Amino acid sequence: MKLPNWRDKTIFVTGATGFIGGRVCERLVMAGARHVRALVHSMHRAARIGRLPIELCPGDLLDLASLRSALGDSKIVIHCGLGNARAIVRGTENVLGVAAARSVDRFVHMSTTAVYGISPPPGCETEQAPLRRSGDGYCDNKAKAEGAVFKFARRGLPAVILRPAIVYGPYSAWSTRLIPALREGRVALIDGGRGACNTTYVDNLIDAVFLAIENQCALGKTFFITDGETITWGDFIQAHVAMLGQSSDLPQVSKEEAIAYYKNRPGLVLGSMKAAGSVLRSKEFRRLLMQIPVSQRILAGAWRWLESLPEGKRARIRSRVGVRRQVLSVQNGRFMPDEITVATQTSTVFFRIDKAREILGYSPRVPFAQGIRLVERWLRFANYI
Amino acid sequence: MTDEPIRLAILGCGTITRIEHFPSVLAHPDVRLAALVDLDLNRAKILAKSRQVDCEIVTDYRSLVGKVDALINALPNSLHAPLTLEALDTGIHVLCEKPLATSSADATACAEIAKRKNLVLAVGMSRRFVASHTLLRLVLDEGLLGSLQDYDFQYGGAFDWRSASGFYFSKQLAGGGALLDFGVHLLDSLMDWFGPVSAFDYQDDNWGSGIEANAFVDLRHLGTYGDINGRVRVSRTYPLKNRLLVRGTKGQAEISLHDLEAVVIHRIFQGRPVTETVRIAKQGGAGSFFRQLDNFVESIRGRQKPEVDGFQAARVLQLIEDCYAHAHRIPEPWSDVQALGKEASI
Repeated sequence: MKLPNWRDKTIFVTGATGFIGGRVCERLVMAGARHVRALVHSMHRAARIGRLPIELCPGDLLDLASLRSALGDSKIVIHCGLGNARAIVRGTENVLGVAAARSVDRFVHMSTTAVYGISPPPGCETEQAPLRRSGDGYCDNKAKAEGAVFKFARRGLPAVILRPAIVYGPYSAWSTRLIPALREGRVALIDGGRGACNTTYVDNLIDAVFLAIENQCALGKTFFITDGETITWGDFIQAHVAMLGQSSDLPQVSKEEAIAYYKNRPGLVLGSMKAAGSVLRSKEFRRLLMQIPVSQRILAGAWRWLESLPEGKRARIRSRVGVRRQVLSVQNGRFMPDEITVATQTSTVFFRIDKAREILGYSPRVPFAQGIRLVERWLRFANYI
Repeated sequence: MTDEPIRLAILGCGTITRIEHFPSVLAHPDVRLAALVDLDLNRAKILAKSRQVDCEIVTDYRSLVGKVDALINALPNSLHAPLTLEALDTGIHVLCEKPLATSSADATACAEIAKRKNLVLAVGMSRRFVASHTLLRLVLDEGLLGSLQDYDFQYGGAFDWRSASGFYFSKQLAGGGALLDFGVHLLDSLMDWFGPVSAFDYQDDNWGSGIEANAFVDLRHLGTYGDINGRVRVSRTYPLKNRLLVRGTKGQAEISLHDLEAVVIHRIFQGRPVTETVRIAKQGGAGSFFRQLDNFVESIRGRQKPEVDGFQAARVLQLIEDCYAHAHRIPEPWSDVQALGKEASI
């Protein structure tokens, strides 16, 4: 059974200025959607979707009144919005609440395979694997947001949860960060690059979003969405190396080396911004914090404050104090990837998409080889290479 | 004109006023800030308080008629022409932010009323006041590049202008996107250096009723230096080279948008590539917005002419209008859903 004429209904997209939400908006326009309302939190980020014949609705996931007005008379909600911990959890509850009050016909929730942690352990290959706290704020909050969607779904909200993995494509930060990192020698292959990458070409994901809207059988269910290929991090990184025409001979680091390095490393907080962020959020660190001198507590507080600022402001402060996005960690003259990267690139889990194939009718039409060629064309046009 | 300070009001207390016009006005010895005008009184009050300025704070500039000699119009684009026209009509000199209007007809109307009323209408093409603008002309006039071949002008990066009103992405309020917003600076400079445009081709990435984030303009000029072709690329999404490169038979001149006070010349001396950076000696430390304000003040005093008047602004806007009217879509092969999954087409 299918939701009829969904393209004629008003469609509300959150996270519309982001990579996935932006492509959702473009694809909706291409699919002939008649009325798309895009929630815009930061108007200066709207350049990409400002090109489209859609309505930009200023608002904030954490401001109910603005959400009500932005959602308007929408009948379909595609929730890709992110933000800080509150925006992820409370924000999702808010959108769910407004959508339920308006009796929407469909609520597609953009979750992530990261609900199983940054480095999902074996056993998470199918959606049946139970969720458990991983200790990472983003992952745990995305899991909590899923919980909120289930709660509303049980009360009758026609919701579908999609869990994409490493979503790449034109505009993706995976590529726009990898290219300069490769140029500057800030990339190493971890464990020979054998880790599972679980690539998800953005248009494959959007196909799944449309199927989730159309397909009545999907209601109340959760689906892993990937390209269904066994692409490794080595494949993904080397594809970008090839675009630059660089030597494929990248530095190698083993997971054990990296773990030992970070374990023994003094001045943990001065590690990469990202790693410091996740450490700051961990219970272990908070316990340690109680045992160290006040000066370091202030330093930790400063990092937390820096993390809470908008990206533009952070960049300005970083450039003023000379701190880069990823502080180079070099051991014996060798580059050492940050902890998050190590964790991300050493999972062995390839998520299975059988359930999405069977119930949603999902079939990833863009294979990795084609996806990466499209990315390359875009990167060249966009002056990254 | 007496030498009493010029009583000036600023309309619109958004970002450009806060970071450029307001400090310039306060720094100019010949200008007294008489009023800040904004629909959001609080925004104006915060601005005044930031420098302990004692001036009137009002929501409607009409209450200031008779109390001010001049105003800076820094409202959203769609309000540039209507309020400039109105202010000129009541006898107030106007320095209007770019673009003067969202149509060339409105710009011409502003220019004509200023002429008729013998008032100063200056258009805020602040790029005209950076040293590299003058320097490039000197380099060309000195013949350092030989005969000119072509140019390439790129300006782009992730859009990060924190507009207080967010008008930039409203077609109705902004009138256009990347081309009208900062493309207008580039086209104005190019037309000033190389003369009127005799042919053009324009592409952008507006998908319909939106506003473009990216644009390419291929231009041909017929001016002081003969025929010259060039390409302009502007982007609000991609990190471009952010420079102008002018190629001639004897060398190339480059203006980096990171250093607008210099021109870098690339030449070959006895087979070896050399670069020279030229700057204007003894250039004062004042910024381009201060120099622009000074030109406005001196024009009111009758000692100078506005660097960019309404008629010049209208000519650039006419070109932009023509570009929009004859726009082709930039091909986006990475976006073509029909081709997805089909190997041969990529």
